[in-house]
Amino acid sequence: MTATPAAVVRSLDQGTTPIRFARGWHCLGLAADFADGKPHAVHGFGTKLVVWQDGEGELNALDGFCRHMGGDLTQGEVKGDHIACPFHDWRWGGDGKCKEIPYARRVPLRARTQRYETVVRNGQLLIWHDPEGSAADHDILPPELPDVMSDKYTPWSWHTKEINGSHCRELIDNVADMAHFYYVHFAFPTSFRNVFDGHTATQFMESKGRPDTSGGSGYGDENSMLKSVATYYGPAYMINWLEVDYKGFVTEVILINCHIPTGPESFTLQYGISVRKPEGLDDKTCAYIAERYTESFGDGFLQDVAIWENKVAVQNPLLCEEDGPVYQLRRWYEQFYVDVADVKPEMVDRFEFEVDTTKANEYWHAEVAENLAKRAAADAAAPADA
Amino acid sequence: MASFVPTREETLADLRRYTEDRLVEVACLDCLARVRVKKNSDHQTSVQWTGQSRSDCQEFQRRGEAPGGRDVHKPCPRLMASIDEAVRAGDVPIGAYDGY
Repeated sequence: MTATPAAVVRSLDQGTTPIRFARGWHCLGLAADFADGKPHAVHGFGTKLVVWQDGEGELNALDGFCRHMGGDLTQGEVKGDHIACPFHDWRWGGDGKCKEIPYARRVPLRARTQRYETVVRNGQLLIWHDPEGSAADHDILPPELPDVMSDKYTPWSWHTKEINGSHCRELIDNVADMAHFYYVHFAFPTSFRNVFDGHTATQFMESKGRPDTSGGSGYGDENSMLKSVATYYGPAYMINWLEVDYKGFVTEVILINCHIPTGPESFTLQYGISVRKPEGLDDKTCAYIAERYTESFGDGFLQDVAIWENKVAVQNPLLCEEDGPVYQLRRWYEQFYVDVADVKPEMVDRFEFEVDTTKANEYWHAEVAENLAKRAAADAAAPADA
Repeated sequence: MASFVPTREETLADLRRYTEDRLVEVACLDCLARVRVKKNSDHQTSVQWTGQSRSDCQEFQRRGEAPGGRDVHKPCPRLMASIDEAVRAGDVPIGAYDGY
């Protein structure tokens, strides 16, 4: 007797992690944090980068290890416009060329190191990374955010978190993951839609916090309703426009969610928050509100991290009708991991997906009502003075 | 070249099932755009565009010229109406098969 298809046990295809890192713009952090005339170390792309500001005020990024004898440039010194190696004082310019070797008659012509094109956008330092070594594509930079960096918005509240044991694709998968907002972030996603188009991938979501959990994260507060538009511009930089309705008080929040891959299974997550200052509130109150949002969305990331740290990689997710288009999302993400010549039309062709949240929300509302009833019964049974 | 591309035959079959199966062509009633559509339920819709249909869509062309371009993420209302019409006419079957 042959086994029926239903009796076949499904196995997890864990696949192999790519060795290369994605092509595209990557954010290293707030530009101002690098602008102190000192060398800064940034771990990324399997190496360490050195970032410094030159005399012209430009930010430069080079591979962190001197091509002479491998000295650590991040422990060197900025001398004039150049970064000087602590080992033998070789001086490197932002264009990647060795400019001076103080003890040598001449600089070898071949003294060129890996440089990264830099752009400051919305107050953040972005660099172009491409394993094929192409020129930076300025047409696909994330858009400028009008009024952010002006006094209409609070200054970026910026945070960094190292993630080990996960490939950054886990983070990308969230774009298409409707149901995890209920289970991991304690919110009802009432409307959920994805659009992948060219180098962008967008998630539209409306959600409401669950009343049966103590909330905690930016999504889970029962008093808040979110309207969220979140777009990845390339593989590693997302702008999330959020409209948070907290008991009728609407706040516009901009959340940047970006990362730098550090190794095959590790990345540095960075997130920043800027809040449109509500009219009639003083700066101190606005700053307080911004910090509260930063904390709560930061907690949201930690909820994801707890899952990532314990899950396995899955090449062949098994989906149900209520799930989002994770295969199409990964097909989109693949474009950044192949040579430009190998980018297939289906990786960049527009794809739209509206998730049917009806059944899921019916079930979830019933579950939450049950949880609340249990809690009420437990409260009633407990002694009044407890 | 190392990449995520699945190599197991079963995984490739899943990839085809989730991304290609049961897509039905729908033509826009207002322009030359032709897309492929799948509906797992009344409220669920997948719309697969091509480079050609993307440039045929008058609505996207118009939006593409506007500064900012954030609207490009929104669907084309004319195409959505055309899909609704095709669904009413019974040209797009509704219902999932074992989750896809």
